[in-house]
Amino acid sequence: MESFFVRYRNLLVLLAILLAQIIGLAMQVRRTDSGRNSLDPQDAPGVRLLRLWADTVVMPPEKAFHATRLGAVSLWQDYIDLHHIREQNQDLQKTIDRLRLEQASLLEDAKQGERLQALMDFQQKYIYKTQAAQAIGTSGSDSSRVFYIDKGADYKLERDMAVITPDGIAGKVRDVFPHSAQVLAINDQTSGAGVILETTRIRGILRGNAVGRPQIVGILKDDRIQPGEKVLTAGGDLIFPRGLPVGVVEKVVPDPDRDSFVDVIVTPAAHLNRLDEVLVITSTEPRFPAEQQQDMATSEMLKGAQAAAIAEASREQKKASEVMAERLPGLTDPNAPAQTPAVGTAPGNAQPGQSATPAAAAPPPVPKLLHPQHPDRFTVGTGSPQSGQTSAPAGQEKKPTPKTGLKPESKPESKSGQKANPQPAHAGGNTQP
Amino acid sequence: MSLLGADYRRDMGVHSYPVLVYALTPLAALVLQAWLPRLVLGYTWFDLPLVVTVYFALARRNPIQGTLMGAGMGLFEDALTHHAIGVNGIAKTVAGFLAGSVGVRIDVENHTIRTMVTFLLSLLSSVIYFSIYRVLLGLNLEWSWLAELMKAVVNALIAMVLFPLLDRTRVRD
Repeated sequence: MESFFVRYRNLLVLLAILLAQIIGLAMQVRRTDSGRNSLDPQDAPGVRLLRLWADTVVMPPEKAFHATRLGAVSLWQDYIDLHHIREQNQDLQKTIDRLRLEQASLLEDAKQGERLQALMDFQQKYIYKTQAAQAIGTSGSDSSRVFYIDKGADYKLERDMAVITPDGIAGKVRDVFPHSAQVLAINDQTSGAGVILETTRIRGILRGNAVGRPQIVGILKDDRIQPGEKVLTAGGDLIFPRGLPVGVVEKVVPDPDRDSFVDVIVTPAAHLNRLDEVLVITSTEPRFPAEQQQDMATSEMLKGAQAAAIAEASREQKKASEVMAERLPGLTDPNAPAQTPAVGTAPGNAQPGQSATPAAAAPPPVPKLLHPQHPDRFTVGTGSPQSGQTSAPAGQEKKPTPKTGLKPESKPESKSGQKANPQPAHAGGNTQP
Repeated sequence: MSLLGADYRRDMGVHSYPVLVYALTPLAALVLQAWLPRLVLGYTWFDLPLVVTVYFALARRNPIQGTLMGAGMGLFEDALTHHAIGVNGIAKTVAGFLAGSVGVRIDVENHTIRTMVTFLLSLLSSVIYFSIYRVLLGLNLEWSWLAELMKAVVNALIAMVLFPLLDRTRVRD
């Protein structure tokens, strides 16, 4: 018996270790109601202990590596590579000013939306508080798209908190350790985020595929889905607040398992492979956070100042135009309809440079049709080419003959006026400056 | 591939290393495996813990040590993911055992042989991982065999560079 163990010692050790791991695996998998196997979302105490040990061993060196890299990068960027930094600063300042004004203009809409939501008993949650964190490591495996951040329970992070970047959503907190946390990225196969297409308003679930590309699965074929359409969070998963950018539609591919369904491949807005600094949403409230309210107040103040400046400039411009109007000679339109008798009749009311007597007292000019150079049978009011020479006055011209069905085309009055009653050439209608 | 007797191989002596190398090399492999993908745009076409496991299993020519080292490294890798703990553990346990068993029978001083062994064991590890996930656990996991093939090739290339470096740390009698 002893020789058996000695002889097969290697194999027995192998089998023992394999058996122990298989039993451990069996304890982590459970069968769902639908008859499919799935991993237990909540780690068992023993499993969590192993993860905690691994985190404790790996995280300190990773933080040291990360800090070293950040130090080198910041040394280069902050002290050496400073080309065009002043121009960038000025551009950014202009952008901030412009965004403040835009924010102020959007504020009213937001407040109105908030009031309407309150009326409809719908609580829209706003991002109230975030915690900045650094992404310091990964799982090291293609099949597990998770990354680690350098903040954990010491910063009151909790499971299922949303992790975002200024560009878009990045993932959700899956596990929290004392000084770090594991984040499940949105391009993992087991992730799931409720999303909505911005234009078509089609909803779906976002998850990753085998090569780490986010895709919206379980969507019926729809020709309206086009590449380039924006994808936003739908807010139904109770993790990501509604309306955060997710990415844009890259292409639509048929679902390999179901005929009438398609998968929408999405280009993520956040650079998932280059994450450095992320924000963990630690609190959402049905009101704007204090910092944002302060920004809004500043924007309102700036907006008021800008509006006052615009109004002042408008008044100055109006005043200048009035002065110019007083200095410039007045112009009258000879073809303009007769004004009220008071206008122009009183010499005292006449503007400088404007004659008070002639045009106002004269009867309105009677427009006449031009004489046709080559009259034919279509010429209005003519029985024969010769009769066209005597044109009828306006309003008295004959109606077109039923044979032709053409309507008489009255020529511009200015031209008829020129023929009938020649006037100065400034009859363009520029009566007032 | 030169086949040699086990006794003859043992007589040639089992390579030994300083304790620090035993302790720090696996730790460095685990840390770098988790950290380096951030520098290479998320691509994890390498498996440093597997390469280190194969190296020490071949060098020590001991299947039990290879088994234990593979199990430890695999479990550690599993603990860093969000998957079940034990999948990588089983795959690397088998890889370590086979590397230790092969080390008894072949000339492990040959760089080409060591590189080929690393390539084959990398592919075998991927097959075992996929089989456990899909067959044993019955879980749904999409797979890219091209990525696994690339990983095996990159592992072999890393072995070509890393093994001679680690050879320099051997304790000389």
